[in-house]
Amino acid sequence: MTTAAVTRTTVQPVTFRRLVTSEHVKMRSLRSTWWALAVAVAFFPLFSAMRTSSMVAVAADASPEYLVGPVYVTSGLALAQLVLCGLAVVTITAEYRTGQVRSTLTAAPTRLPALGAKLLVVVVTALATGLVGVLVGWAAAAPTLGAARMTVDLTQAEHLRLMFGVPLYLAAITAFAFGVGAILRSSAAGIASVLGLVFVVEPAFSYVPWAPLQQIATYLPTAAGSRLISSDTMGSVIAGSQSTTLSAWQGYGVLLAWAAAALLVAAVLLRRRDA
Amino acid sequence: MIEAHRLTKRYGPRTVVDGMTFTVQPGRVTGFLGPNGAGKSTTMRMTVGLDRPHGGTVTVNGAPYARHRAPLAEVGVLLDAKAVHPGRSARAHLRALAATHGISNARVDEVIDLAGLTSVAHQRAGRFSLGMGQRLGIAAALLGDPATLILDEPVNGLDPEGVLWVRTLLRSLAAEGRTVFLSSHLMSEMALTADHLVVVGRGRVVADAPVADIVARAGTSAVRVRTPETARLADALTRDPALRVVSTAADTLEVSGADAPTIAAAAAGAGVVLHELAPVQASLEDAYLQLTGGEVEYRAAAPDATAHARPTSGAHR
Ligand SMILES: Nc1ncnc2c1ncn2[C@@H]1O[C@H](COP(=O)(O)OP(=O)(O)OP(=O)(O)O)[C@@H](O)[C@H]1O
Ligand SMILES: [Mg+2]
Repeated sequence: MTTAAVTRTTVQPVTFRRLVTSEHVKMRSLRSTWWALAVAVAFFPLFSAMRTSSMVAVAADASPEYLVGPVYVTSGLALAQLVLCGLAVVTITAEYRTGQVRSTLTAAPTRLPALGAKLLVVVVTALATGLVGVLVGWAAAAPTLGAARMTVDLTQAEHLRLMFGVPLYLAAITAFAFGVGAILRSSAAGIASVLGLVFVVEPAFSYVPWAPLQQIATYLPTAAGSRLISSDTMGSVIAGSQSTTLSAWQGYGVLLAWAAAALLVAAVLLRRRDA
Repeated sequence: MIEAHRLTKRYGPRTVVDGMTFTVQPGRVTGFLGPNGAGKSTTMRMTVGLDRPHGGTVTVNGAPYARHRAPLAEVGVLLDAKAVHPGRSARAHLRALAATHGISNARVDEVIDLAGLTSVAHQRAGRFSLGMGQRLGIAAALLGDPATLILDEPVNGLDPEGVLWVRTLLRSLAAEGRTVFLSSHLMSEMALTADHLVVVGRGRVVADAPVADIVARAGTSAVRVRTPETARLADALTRDPALRVVSTAADTLEVSGADAPTIAAAAAGAGVVLHELAPVQASLEDAYLQLTGGEVEYRAAAPDATAHARPTSGAHR
């Protein structure tokens, strides 16, 4: 066999763009990514068709404020977000579990750009998945929407927000989950923390009938973030808290702040810790 | 070129790299030797910025690793632990790595070919055998055509063809003027591959010299004597308590503590006929064991293994 220097190899400096390309290759080249995304998207038509057609029989008796089309069309979000949060956590924790992080960081020894590139790929993936999910969900519900006395009308501000808030919400919540994964560096701990927060901590805060706790609950990540995708009349499909203290965009801002805080801690730890 | 200056690393209360200072020069293969736990892998990880030193500095080609704008062109590294996601194919792994430096897919296929992985490049790395994984790691190290190579036990798990490949590859890379720094526990392989050695024990450098010097320093360790009358010769020789005599075959003795003329004189005095009288040159292994005898941290409990780690008191090969 020959030596490495058969041809002179062109090697260029590491840039953020190149790191993003690299992370994109990494994301695409894992079979598990495609499974997760397929499942996440599939929840949308599944739930949207199921819930819309279940309304067909009762729509005549329901009052119109409970017939908000986008709420039914996007109801797959509750489960899709879990899959995408899981994917976000594992994308970073698997680097540590498998040792891949040593390859990643030797190629990008300044570290933070590598984390940023991975975050960007995760967030854009969540955004795209949410968008596709919403559209597929809409298509799946379309045949029965009329019979259920509902519409999806993107010229209505609320409908627009409910529909396109879904990809935005998913982008923010996966960024938060990614940050938690980057802090904990363990798939089990990361997934348990994110699910624990969504399924145990947040409901606990909001269901305990004590005002201060419920106040705090309003500011927890999914409760706050889901304000963006809560119907003024029907509330949200995903959060236990029905508080309306925060406006839709304030709530989303609070979720972004949670994500930013988690990512900041992750960044500081990444700089400090041995890989 | 790799320059470590008073490099120090602690894990909890334990100092595992303790003020190491050494320079790895370009144009030759430098071996990194030391007992288990001596701090070799830790030093290599610090060199490529994965672990943070508690003190001292280490630079590669004149700058700290993280300062290089295209680090993979400066240093190719193979670490002792796995550094590949098992769910990704070998080709995808290398393409992702290549993408960070704008390296072409053609170069990826070139290193795959170089490492002999072409037929399995589409397979998930998790299915790779130890040696195949090692080849993938070497392919990754070569990807950026680096000026410096740092390889932690590269021949670990390789078949004889692979061992030979690594040896010729590293020798030719050094001949091109590159810096090659590798650790290994295989002394015979190291003797064939390396020109220079940095020997460490308990986190400290105990020797930094050309291989030939290190072997020569260990000296002639014994004299092999062949005679039909081994018993009589052994009796004659062991009258001097400073001499140690070991029978290595029915007609062969190995004598340490005396040179050939002394043994010949003793034989003549006893009227014993000698068929062969030959000084036995110490091997790199002997030299290494002498150097690190006091530095071994994890010593096997068996008495013969203990004797092995203190070659002066036992049999010679
Ligand atoms: N991440 C870590 N945390 C705690 N201790 C560590 C860590 N990495 C290494 N050590 C300890 O540091 C010491 C040096 O380890 P290192 O792997 O550098 O040795 P080595 O010379 O490469 O040994 P070997 O020949 O067995 O590969 C060992 O005692 C090891 O247990
Ligand atoms: Mg080691």
